[in-house]
Amino acid sequence: MATVKIPAQKVILVGEYGVGKSSLFRRFANDTFVRASDRQSTLGLDNFGKVYQMKDTDRALKLQLWDTGGMERVASITSSYYKYSEAAILVFALDRPDSFHVLSQHLLDIVTYAENAKIFLCGNKFDLKSRIQVTDGEMEAFSEQCHNLMSGLYKTSCKTGEGVEEMFRDIANQLSETNRFVLKTFMSLFTLVDPDLMLPPGHPRPEIGTSAHRSKIELQSLEEARSFRIDQALEADENGPNDCSC
Amino acid sequence: MDEDYDCIVLGTGLTECIMSGMLSVSGKKVLHMDRNKYYGGESASLTPLEELFTKFGVPTPDDTFGRGRDWNVDLIPKFIMANGQLVKLLIHTGVTRYLEFKSIEGSYVMGKSGKICKVPADEREALSSDLMGLFEKRRFKNFLVFVQDFDPKDPKTWKDVDPQKCTMDEVYKKFGLDPNTADFVGHALALYRDDDYRQKPCQEALDRIKLYSDSLARYGKSPYLYPLYGLGELPQGFARLSAIYGGTYMLDKPIDEIVMEGGKVVGVRSGDQIAKCKQVFCDPSYAPTQVRKVGQVIRCICLLDHPLPNTKDALSTQIIIPQKQVNRQSDIYVTMVSYTHQVASKGWFIAMISTNVETDNPEQEIQPGLNLLGPIKQKFIQLSDVYEPQNDGTDNQLFISKSYDATSHFQTTCVDVLDIFKRATGEEFDFTNVKHNLEDQE
Repeated sequence: MATVKIPAQKVILVGEYGVGKSSLFRRFANDTFVRASDRQSTLGLDNFGKVYQMKDTDRALKLQLWDTGGMERVASITSSYYKYSEAAILVFALDRPDSFHVLSQHLLDIVTYAENAKIFLCGNKFDLKSRIQVTDGEMEAFSEQCHNLMSGLYKTSCKTGEGVEEMFRDIANQLSETNRFVLKTFMSLFTLVDPDLMLPPGHPRPEIGTSAHRSKIELQSLEEARSFRIDQALEADENGPNDCSC
Repeated sequence: MDEDYDCIVLGTGLTECIMSGMLSVSGKKVLHMDRNKYYGGESASLTPLEELFTKFGVPTPDDTFGRGRDWNVDLIPKFIMANGQLVKLLIHTGVTRYLEFKSIEGSYVMGKSGKICKVPADEREALSSDLMGLFEKRRFKNFLVFVQDFDPKDPKTWKDVDPQKCTMDEVYKKFGLDPNTADFVGHALALYRDDDYRQKPCQEALDRIKLYSDSLARYGKSPYLYPLYGLGELPQGFARLSAIYGGTYMLDKPIDEIVMEGGKVVGVRSGDQIAKCKQVFCDPSYAPTQVRKVGQVIRCICLLDHPLPNTKDALSTQIIIPQKQVNRQSDIYVTMVSYTHQVASKGWFIAMISTNVETDNPEQEIQPGLNLLGPIKQKFIQLSDVYEPQNDGTDNQLFISKSYDATSHFQTTCVDVLDIFKRATGEEFDFTNVKHNLEDQE
């Protein structure tokens, strides 16, 4: 049976040690909360995927959430953590202004290593009502300072669960919208391709220098440029040869 | 860092990062430190480009080379055998999910008269190749079929070749391969850098040829893979593996002393802090008095604004110059990757030439390689000593890895890692300790 593969989007958590990134991850993965920062509880956890169905459509999208593994505790995070991410959530603790003010540094890392990622701002520990020291105004001001690089501002509490699911759903929605736009642009590119390219076998090839020849070369070079993941390539192998007859 | 650990790992090169990952996965409490402020040590990919110029004391460039942070330049040129040990390690540890790869497009070898020829990737290419004459091709084909069917466990496939006794020279003779073909097989397929192997039992050579052809069968054009954003992604991937299994990371940490008591490792000192541990793992640079020099490698990094001549404009290539063609003891390797691997700015190419140093004038030694590159925009030369540990660490619990050698892939590195793991823990690494996802964990 042919199954349509749901596109997976890598989303990373970024921010200071102890602001609740792993708690967000836990909430996302199995909707639990561990009171003391119990490192043991996240041992071996790498990333977790969850499918979001888009409202009023048949489209779905899989958020693949990544946690830092605690690398930021003493050292810096590897640059490869950021690579291939479609979205980054900048997390700080609402009761810790220091964790908020240092975000510009984290933001710099994101734009350096994951140029095209959408960026979201998340103030966590919203349940500590009386101890909250970072105001909505400050969050908005920060967002404005970053030339509106932020695609969304959220307040969450991992302890109560408040706002967490709403945030991830909103991020899924936004990524889905962007995907649709990219796909449309991509399809319109194909309509520009010369119809000669769909030649039946045995038909004389387009002469060198003609536009058909050129676009064929461009298509080929697109093909050459493709990269792959070893594990996925292996899976494909196991599922038998694909139908490509070229 | 004033804590107790099972293991302390010094240096974040690929060997140490794989080690650290395997130790953490096996349940050890690991502290992993590096004196540099970046991950990767010698196996890092330098970025932005300015870092590379600074490292070699060259004034930083103007905007000729495009945007500096589009560059990730490896210091040690290596490719990954598609069916080799490293790929197995990547798959079994799950680290492969952090990486994307591309196949290296072409593999070439310098033949008679200094001409470079494509190493045939399939039968059709083999038949049309001008590497050898028609009759020689038939003999070569018979030889390949023999290697493919050869099973060390099944004497029926041996055709009277005892893999433990019969030398490779005798195998060449048996199949009537001429000296050029034998040279091609030994250096371009078995990837030996000198000719010592010919007098040794043929088992290893046959394994290597098989690895080459199995790797080739995997993704097509060449047996090699290369990770996007450079080789520096590999140590980082294994470091993450270690971290998610509880390993602690510290960078930018000067390492002043490996503390010994009664002939055994008890900790590592940085300034006035001491972290205690039972075992230390490190690269040779952290234990200079415990290693011996076994050779020297010259590596030359060249920035080009064109692909290599005579390679059909391939965007990635390897060219092997067998020692005999240039009257040397060891081969010269030329590797090239480019902007399609996210290691250079659009339109730029990075070629590297490497070989074992044999004379007092190593720059002269790599000239045959430089001759193949065409115009070079910028050139950096580095000479590195190759070290080996003086002892295997089982007595003092200090386990030192070998320096990265001049081979073009990571087979020797992986053998070293698995060997150190076994020396340190007394057992083989158990891949089933790796949980691949949350479901496995619960």
